[in-house]
Amino acid sequence: MKTLTKIALVLIPSISLSMTATAHDMKMHAKKAEKADCSKMEHSKKGVKDAVTIAMMKKCMKQAKKAKVKMDHNKTDDKNIKKDGHKNH
Amino acid sequence: MKMLKYLLLLIAFGVAATLTIIYSGIVNVAADEAHSDFVYWLLQETRENSIQKAAQNIAVPNLEDPDLLLTGGADYAFMCASCHLKPGQSESDMSLGLYPSPPNLAIANDNHQGHEHGDDTQADRNNFWVIKHGIKASGMPAWGKTHDDQRIWAMVAFIKRLPTLTAEQYQILTAID
Repeated sequence: MKTLTKIALVLIPSISLSMTATAHDMKMHAKKAEKADCSKMEHSKKGVKDAVTIAMMKKCMKQAKKAKVKMDHNKTDDKNIKKDGHKNH
Repeated sequence: MKMLKYLLLLIAFGVAATLTIIYSGIVNVAADEAHSDFVYWLLQETRENSIQKAAQNIAVPNLEDPDLLLTGGADYAFMCASCHLKPGQSESDMSLGLYPSPPNLAIANDNHQGHEHGDDTQADRNNFWVIKHGIKASGMPAWGKTHDDQRIWAMVAFIKRLPTLTAEQYQILTAID
């Protein structure tokens, strides 16, 4: 019982401290992971070569690419499930 | 000799008055009661001149890189927006509750009350220094303890463009991938 108490006394503070140490990871910054609403993208008044416009385009293109990869993965998974289903028959 | 006596008396009086103020508890430290105009001026001038002096030799990198806006935007939304606001927002619990009130960074520098920015480059230097080192007893943390210079410069780059952003542009730039 004493050993158990000792382990608890060491483990609980260690886990709490290690959790706070990872708090600065960029992805953990988002309280609610909010996707960029690219449908409302409007170019900066300074034109298409402006840093704001380029940054927005980069963000939206990256998001679209990720969505496409996800969709392709889903299609492949569906096909595999169907194939497996046929084999089992 | 008489002069020295008066001087010693004056010093003793000064020390006694200071100790009385410290230990009597008569100074109100509540954030919901403003300083007198004189105390506010004294603290503000001290703060602004200190920042100006400490930041004057900082070399400013190129802040026009679009990638800086993406890194800085995400960090700003998480670390700064609750106090320093975002486009379309004029107040928050933090901006109302903190004293001195944090500047609204979503509006142009010229509209900030209570502090000077100097030219654009000096404003960038000041912003970098303040983000990195924080400001004592103001609620502004020293982000340099947990973020490297590159991350801080990205925030400076984002803050530089923030007053020109619409709410929609802000949403896109600050969204997490």
